Amino acid sequence: MSAFRRHWIWLLALAVLLAFPFLFYDWTKGRHSGFVLTLMSEIGVMAIFALSYNMLMGQAGLLSFGHAVLFGLGAYCAAHVVNLVKAGTIWLPTELVPLAGGLGGMFFGYVLGWLVTKQRATAFAMITMGLGELVSAAALMFMGFFGGEGGISIDRVMDTSLLGVAYTSPWQVYCLVLAWAFIAAALMQLQTQTPLGRIANATRDNFERAQFVGYDPRMVRLLQFTLSGFFAGVGGGLYVLIYEIVTFDTVSAAKSANALLAVYIGGAGGFFGPILGTIVVVLLQSGVSLLSNAWLLYVGVLFIVMVMYAPGGLIGLIFMHAPIWRIGRLRELTVPYLKALPAALLILAGFVMLVELASFTTIGAAQGKKLAIAGAVIDTGSPLPWLVAAGALGLGILWMRFAARGFRARWDALIEDARRQGVMS
Amino acid sequence: MSAPAIELRQVRKSFGQTEIIRGVDLVIPRGERHAIIGPNGAGKTTLFNLISGRFPITSGTIAVNGRSTAGLAPQEINRLGLSRSFQITSIFPRMTVFENLRCGLLWSQGYRYSFWHLLGRQKTLNRAAEALLERLKLGDRRNLPAGLLSYAEQRALEIGITIAGGADIILLDEPTAGMSHSETESAVALIRSVSEGKTLLMVEHDMSVVFGLADRITVLVYGEVIASDAPAAIRGNAAVQEAYLGTVAA
Amino acid sequence: MEVFVVSLLNGLVYGMLLFMLASGLTLILSMMGVLNFAHASAYMLGAYFAFTISQHIGFWPALVIAPLLCGLIGAAIEMWGLRRVHRNGHVAELLFTFGLALIIEKVVQMTWGLLPVPYRIPELLDFPLFTIYGTHFPAYRAFMLLVSALMFGAIWLGLTRTRIGLIIQAALTHPEMASALGHNVPRIFTLVFAAGTALAGLAGVIGGNYQVTEPAMAFTMGPIVFVVVVFGGLGSLTGCFIASILMGLIQTFAVVFDVSLADLLARFGFVVTKETPFAEVLTVTLPRIGALLPFLMMVLILVFRPRGLMGTRDT
Repeated sequence: MSAFRRHWIWLLALAVLLAFPFLFYDWTKGRHSGFVLTLMSEIGVMAIFALSYNMLMGQAGLLSFGHAVLFGLGAYCAAHVVNLVKAGTIWLPTELVPLAGGLGGMFFGYVLGWLVTKQRATAFAMITMGLGELVSAAALMFMGFFGGEGGISIDRVMDTSLLGVAYTSPWQVYCLVLAWAFIAAALMQLQTQTPLGRIANATRDNFERAQFVGYDPRMVRLLQFTLSGFFAGVGGGLYVLIYEIVTFDTVSAAKSANALLAVYIGGAGGFFGPILGTIVVVLLQSGVSLLSNAWLLYVGVLFIVMVMYAPGGLIGLIFMHAPIWRIGRLRELTVPYLKALPAALLILAGFVMLVELASFTTIGAAQGKKLAIAGAVIDTGSPLPWLVAAGALGLGILWMRFAARGFRARWDALIEDARRQGVMS
Repeated sequence: MSAPAIELRQVRKSFGQTEIIRGVDLVIPRGERHAIIGPNGAGKTTLFNLISGRFPITSGTIAVNGRSTAGLAPQEINRLGLSRSFQITSIFPRMTVFENLRCGLLWSQGYRYSFWHLLGRQKTLNRAAEALLERLKLGDRRNLPAGLLSYAEQRALEIGITIAGGADIILLDEPTAGMSHSETESAVALIRSVSEGKTLLMVEHDMSVVFGLADRITVLVYGEVIASDAPAAIRGNAAVQEAYLGTVAA
Repeated sequence: MEVFVVSLLNGLVYGMLLFMLASGLTLILSMMGVLNFAHASAYMLGAYFAFTISQHIGFWPALVIAPLLCGLIGAAIEMWGLRRVHRNGHVAELLFTFGLALIIEKVVQMTWGLLPVPYRIPELLDFPLFTIYGTHFPAYRAFMLLVSALMFGAIWLGLTRTRIGLIIQAALTHPEMASALGHNVPRIFTLVFAAGTALAGLAGVIGGNYQVTEPAMAFTMGPIVFVVVVFGGLGSLTGCFIASILMGLIQTFAVVFDVSLADLLARFGFVVTKETPFAEVLTVTLPRIGALLPFLMMVLILVFRPRGLMGTRDT
């Protein structure tokens, strides 16, 4: 029973994640929304990837620009294994394909890690960047392992399932992704509580001190990098099963940047931060990129706002409320938040409108698209929409300044109370 | 068996053109509490860095527990049974006080780089960490990030991390620097108790601490040992008077 | 032989261009510790500004105005952005510039479109300067060499002959010392950042029409500039210069020599066939891995000599 009490949150999450796709279930045709399932599978894979990145950045303080190399090489390994299974050369249950990816990622994690973990800090960042560029260039160049530009395709239906599942539908794949995501997340969470996990924290905080308690920081980095490679590879293996193809962009700098973005936006160090960040980044990418040409701009702006105003990430913002919650007065922030909400919405609307107007005058026009809101086509050449957008933005900023003052006063008072009651650490 | 704890033979160290340590000979037998004193810039901390392997020596030999440390990395010297603290507080600021101490214990308890032991389940390890916590009188700070401790508490924690691994040779670099009178007193008591039955080598500026704790004192001036003797003899040594104590008295 | 001389000249031109970009980045990275991902974006902005300005008032005013604009943008970024982010640590600074690079790329796309713009070299310089072994050497390339040489001279004079230059030099090798000496460090940082950005902008002006002015130019150039900076070593402009020229030459010569490891092995009597292990790696020719060479060099130098060619400290 105590096990249930400690782990109920995991079970709840699992239940919610299993139930969620049914919100989009098409009852008339009796099938799931493929888009939603693929999106959620993508989130699952990217969450594993981001958590494995957090093993480096959050846990060991290692800023890597080439983490996708481990993810992608794991994916290539898994793809080759699947093709070998199809050819009858070896036997492996479909369910264990991600494990093959993980072992591949671990192997490359050790080999490449041997090179890169000689360094730390900036030099580590640079050497991983070089390695990332090197591998993505090689992926385009060599046919044998990487399949050149076409990549390696697989057929995930290989009749070796342990559970007798064919994996013909996205739903079956989604369940597999979910299972692996939970296993990987749990293992990574447990790893933080092992001697290696703790010493990784120690080398992050003060690598020299770690030396003088008997640890070789290089060895700590190497092992941490290798394990991180294993989990990234598991993610890569799942990726192959979802998309049935692996191309050079799984090892590309853009993929590496995704992990960095997710971890930083969510909040490095903790466990839920990277997952939260992954959800935001994947939704931005898959959702907004469908709607807008300028989604990278939004990502960039979000990023800059986060770096400037919330260096602890989304999870950091949430945890800032902890002392107020502990003295049981979180409710008093409701009104200040509600007051700031319209201002925030105005700023958002004005900004998005301006960006879209600009984007449609140039890129949209070149692609022959027209900006339409609720069916009404808007003429991007006339001054009115521009004025409305700029007006909304300006008004929003003024309003926000006003609302922020009241908010800050309330916030400071509550924090002060919390401190007086001794709940601030 | 009776190899001295630390043995330095004609140790020299140069940074670029400047020779900081100019041929130091020093033998510290086991179980001795030994203090190094000397004016600023004498090379005391550099000597510590050489013994603990932070910097390589230019020439000469250093042996710890009878084993030459030539070519050894700091962690390897640590594993020979030598542990050190730093002049500028060196702890793990983002980890809790308890985690700091547990990290100090890990290697000596044989966990190495294990990623299959769950720390919460290691009873002996956790008991040792708790005991150390009590000994340092930091029990009520157990779960606080170490970076938030007061200065004196951080210094105590640093000594705790240093002795956690059970090293039989302890190097303390100005353990009481910057402390108030009462803080110094409790630090001295702590040092006295943790160095019981061990070899202690310390750099210290506070003469009352030095003369209260040390069995033997070495005076280092401009990278050379000008005297190495019992406290009473050092007090009476004319050369020391002139080179060092004299300037303090004046 | 003729290939050699032409390639040498082209390599020099490209190397000097790289140096204009890398020198600013070296200054910024060494002094402020900021891995500025938006540096190549300034290069791109310089090219686009120059394109627009030269359409309206001509190339020569653009040569001056575009870098100045870039410098102003750089100063603004440093004063209102980086300085604020500085408190949150180096990773935050780096991510800030990363976000900036994304935004700049998108803004460029939205302003000038997705396709390359027809930014051409000025007519005045559009003639072959001389002909060696039947190959024309364009006057514009000579002009590029001239501009970058003049720039190099100006930087050198500025750093060695002016007071502020001497402070910057001191701060290059010992960043923590400069503030201890009581200089107005924030102002120097702003100045260095603005100057570095302006230099990158100038490189864009003269490089944009030598290469292609397109929205992806920042992201293709960026990593190479990092390679040059790391290769040259932190805190050393001389190292940066040598690394730039070396990189320019390597990339130019790699395109020319159509050889592979297999050819090399063949000289020693070892014939590579399809069955040889790693046959694909051995038979790939130098021109094909030309783009890959800089990164290979970066990885190697970081593994074996982390302070770079002439760096004063580890990267």
